[in-house]
Amino acid sequence: MAKFEAGMEAMADMYVFETTTLLEQLDQILMKTENESSFGEEEINEIFRTMHTIKGSSAMMGLDNMSKLAHAIEDMFYVIREDNPVITSMETLYDIVFNASDLMKAEIELLQEDEYTATDFSEQITRIKGYAAVLKGEAAPEAAAPAAAAPAQTAAAQTAAPAASSSAPALTSVKVYFEDDCKMENLRALLVINRITDACSQLEYVPADIETNGDTAQVIIETGFDISFAPADGKTVDAVVDIIRTTPNVKKCDIVSRGADVAVAKAASGDITSVRVYFEDDCKMENLRALLVVNTIKEVCDNVTYVPADIENNADTCKTIIEEGFLVNFTSEKPQLVFQTIESTPCVKSYEVIEDAAPKAEAPKAAAQTAQAAPAVQAAPAVQAAAPKTEAPKAAAPAQSKEQINNTIATKGGGAKQSLISVNLNKLDTLVDLVGEIVITEAMVTSNPDLKGLRLDNFQKAARQLRKLNSELQDAVMSIRMVPISGAFNKMTRIVRDMKVKLNKDVDLIFEGEETEVDKSIIDQLNDPLMHMVRNSMDHGIEDNVEDRIAAGKSPKGKITLSAYNASGEVIIVIADDGGGINPEKVLAKAEKNGILTRPASEYSEKEILNMIMLPGFSTNEQVTEYSGRGVGMDVVRKNIEKIGGSVSVDSKFGQGTSFIIKIPLSLSIVDGMEVSVGQSIFTIPINSIKESFKAKPSQLVKDTDGKEMIMIRGECFPLIRLYDMYELEPATDDLYEGIVILVEAEGKRACLLADELIGEQQVVVKPFSPLLNNYNVKQNGMAGCSILGDGSITIILDVGNIITDF
Amino acid sequence: MAENTNVTYTADGAEVLFFDIGDTVYGIEIKYINEIIGIEQITVVPKIPDHIKGVINIRGKVVPVISIRKRFGMEEIPYDDRTCIVVIEFEDGQQVGVIVDRVHEVVVVKKDIISKVPDSKSVNSNRYLKSIINMESGIRLLLDCDKLIMD
Repeated sequence: MAKFEAGMEAMADMYVFETTTLLEQLDQILMKTENESSFGEEEINEIFRTMHTIKGSSAMMGLDNMSKLAHAIEDMFYVIREDNPVITSMETLYDIVFNASDLMKAEIELLQEDEYTATDFSEQITRIKGYAAVLKGEAAPEAAAPAAAAPAQTAAAQTAAPAASSSAPALTSVKVYFEDDCKMENLRALLVINRITDACSQLEYVPADIETNGDTAQVIIETGFDISFAPADGKTVDAVVDIIRTTPNVKKCDIVSRGADVAVAKAASGDITSVRVYFEDDCKMENLRALLVVNTIKEVCDNVTYVPADIENNADTCKTIIEEGFLVNFTSEKPQLVFQTIESTPCVKSYEVIEDAAPKAEAPKAAAQTAQAAPAVQAAPAVQAAAPKTEAPKAAAPAQSKEQINNTIATKGGGAKQSLISVNLNKLDTLVDLVGEIVITEAMVTSNPDLKGLRLDNFQKAARQLRKLNSELQDAVMSIRMVPISGAFNKMTRIVRDMKVKLNKDVDLIFEGEETEVDKSIIDQLNDPLMHMVRNSMDHGIEDNVEDRIAAGKSPKGKITLSAYNASGEVIIVIADDGGGINPEKVLAKAEKNGILTRPASEYSEKEILNMIMLPGFSTNEQVTEYSGRGVGMDVVRKNIEKIGGSVSVDSKFGQGTSFIIKIPLSLSIVDGMEVSVGQSIFTIPINSIKESFKAKPSQLVKDTDGKEMIMIRGECFPLIRLYDMYELEPATDDLYEGIVILVEAEGKRACLLADELIGEQQVVVKPFSPLLNNYNVKQNGMAGCSILGDGSITIILDVGNIITDF
Repeated sequence: MAENTNVTYTADGAEVLFFDIGDTVYGIEIKYINEIIGIEQITVVPKIPDHIKGVINIRGKVVPVISIRKRFGMEEIPYDDRTCIVVIEFEDGQQVGVIVDRVHEVVVVKKDIISKVPDSKSVNSNRYLKSIINMESGIRLLLDCDKLIMD
C-alpha cells in the first residue's frame, strides 16, 4: 500500500474502521431526522462533529479529497447551526449529504484495494458550497450578529478572513522572507504553501497568483510573502511555522499576528477543573509520579494540562512539586471520577480542588461557540499563564480528537469510553482456532486410551472441571465475536429510503429483535443477501399502486418487517412484507417456461413452487428494473446464505404478503454433533438437525413401487437413506433392524438416515476440506467438512441439507 | 542439455528426494517436501476418485493422501513398515500426502545430468514427469508435483 506516507499505513486500518463507523452513524442520524423532517440542535452538532472528525483524520492520512469534502459539509452545517436559516428544500439538503456520505463510503472501499487513486470530489464540493451559500444568503442579516460577537476573532484575523468561513478559528498571519538571490521566489513560495497545506484547515496568501505570475517574485522580495492560516486539527500554530521555517531557501518567518491553536479553541467548550495534587513525603521522583497521575487521568478526562509542564524530562521539577504541589487542569463531565482516579494513584497523599480556576458562569456555552479563541484565554488563566504556550495545546490535541471519536461512537454513553477496544478480526479468528484446538485436546486427554479400565476418581473430577471451564472459555470467545444484527438492519433503512423516493412507494420499515447477536463473520456475509431481499420486497412485494392496497383492505402505507430471533442454536431472520404476495400459478408457469421443472407441474406442492423463485435463472418480474429482475436474484441470495451454512425459504400468501425466512447458524466453527459409525468410518451429524433416533421395526418399513424404502413414523412416511449405500462403504451390518435410524430435518424436509451405531455426542471443530478434495464436489455429496476427534481420528461432518435435497 | 526443465538449482545442483514405486526410482524436489511420516490410519472420504485414499491427521491439520500407484494406474500393494507418506506442501500452504513404497535418500543432483523429458506423441505417457535424471546407478525420474496432484 504505497498510498500512504510511511508510518501512516499502520493507521490506515484504524482510519477505515473509524470513518466507516462515523459514516454509518451519519446515515442513521440523517435517516432519523428525515423521518421527523427537522434537525434538532443535537443532531446538527452531531453531524458537524462527525464531519469534523472525518475531515481531521482524512487530512492526517493525506486524503485531501475526503478531507475537503468533509470540510464542505462541515461548513454547510456550520451555517445551519449558527445562522439557523430557513431550509426551504429539505430534500436537496438530504440529497447532498447522503450523496456525500455515499461518495466517502465508496472512497473508503477504494482505499482498501491495492491500487488506489484519489477520486476527484470537486464537483460535489462546489455543489455543497453553492448550497451553503444559498443557505447563508438567505440568512445573511442573522449571520452578522454572531460575527460581531466575536471581537477576539476579528482582531486576530486581520488578514482577509473570507465571509463563508466566519466559523474558522482565528487566523495566524506570518510574513516569509526568502534567502537573497535564491531566484524564482514565487515558486519557492508555492513550495511553502504546498508543504503546509496538509497542516492547515484554512490557508490564504498574498500575492495569490504566485503560480501563474512570475512578476510576483519581485513583490515577494520587496515586501515578503504573506500567509494567513488556521492550523488543522491536532496541529499547532508553531508546528506550521516550523514547517515553513524548514522549507528550503526560507530565510525567516515572522509571526505578524497569532491566532489560536484549534485544539485550545475547542477545549473551551468544557469547564476546566483544576486540582492540586500532593504526594507522600519522601516518596522520591515526584516528577515521575506526577506523570503517572497525568497518564492515569488522561483515560477518564480530556484536555489535561499541568504545571510544571516539563516533569517528564526535568528532574528539578520534583522540588517544585514537593513545595507547591502539582497542578493539573482538565475538563471532564464527571470530575468526581477523575478525583477518585487521582486519589487511587500510588503515592498520592492528598489533593485539593481549586474552585475558582474556572468559574462556570464565565464560560457560557454560547460564547464558547461563537468566539472560540477568547474564552480559552479567560476560562483557563492557569493554563495560559503557567504552561508555555506550545505545551498546552500539544497535550490537549490528542485528547481532544479522541474525545470526539468517542463522543460519536458511544453517542450517549459518556462514561463507557475506556471500556471499548477494537480488535483485528484476524486475531479473534486465531483465538477461536486455538480454543477449538483446546476442545480437541481436552477430549484427547480425558478419553485417552491409556486411561481405559482405570479407576481415576480424582482425575475424573479434575477432568470435569476442565470441561466446564473449556466450555465457558468457548462461550466467552464466541461472545466476543458476537455483534448485534442491528448494524446490518440499519443499512437497510438507507436502501428503503432511497427506493421509496425512486419507486414512489410509501413504506414503513420495522425492526424486531435487532439486538439479536450473530457471529461477526456471518454478519459480514449477510449484508448482500439482506439487501437483495429488502430490495425485492420493495420492488416486487409492495404493490405499485396505493389503490390496489386500499382495495385489498390494507393500510395505504406499505410495511416491511425485518425481524431476528434465536431458535435452537440458529438465528432466524425474517424479511416480511405486506404486499401482493407471490402468485404460485405465475411462478409455476414461469418455471415451466424456463424449463426448471423436473416433474409434471401438478406434482409440486405450494411450498415447493414458492421456493422455485430461488432457483438459478428465475425472476418473476417481467421487467428488469434498476433494483431487481436481472435473473440473478434469489438464487444468488440462496447461494450466499448457504455459503455461511444457512438456508432460506419463502412463505407467501397470495394477496397478503411474502416472508423470506433465513436460518443461519450462530457460529461457524464449533458444532454440537452426534457421532455415528458406518463400517470403519465415523460421521458427525449436527445435533440441531437431528429430530430423533431409534431402532426400526419391521412394521415401520414401507416400500414404494420402485422399491424405494421409506420409514413410517407416527403415521408419516420418510425416505430412508442408507449411508453405506450412499457413500459406497462396507457396513458392519446391512440389516435395517440392527442399525440405528436417525430422523433428520433440514430446510423443512425430513429423511431417515441409517447408520451402524450411535457413538456419542461431542462438540467438534469444523475444519474445511482441503481444496484438492473440494475439486471433487465433496460438499454436493453431503459432506460439510471434517473434524478431529479426541483420539486423533478424523470424522466427516455431514451436511444434512445436501443429503436430503440430493436424495 | 539442462534447459527448460523448470528445476530449481542451488549452487551445487538440485536437491532431490528419491523413492521407490515398484521397480522404478522417482524423485521429488526437496523444496516441495514438508516431512516424511510412516503410514498411519487413513480416514476414507466417500465419493472421491480412487487415487485419493482419504485424509490423515497431521498435528491437527486434515491432509488428503494420494496413492502414487493408483495415480499411475498400477496395482496397490499392502502397506508395510517401509511404506511412507511424503507430505508435500505447495506455495499456497496446501498440504498433500503421497504414499510411496519406500524412501531412499536426498541427493544433490548435478545440473548436467538432468535432462528434458522427450516429447511424446501419446498424450498421457509422460505427463507427470518434470525431467529425467541420468545417475550412475541408473535412470531416475523427477516428478512434477503440481501436475501429479492437481491435474
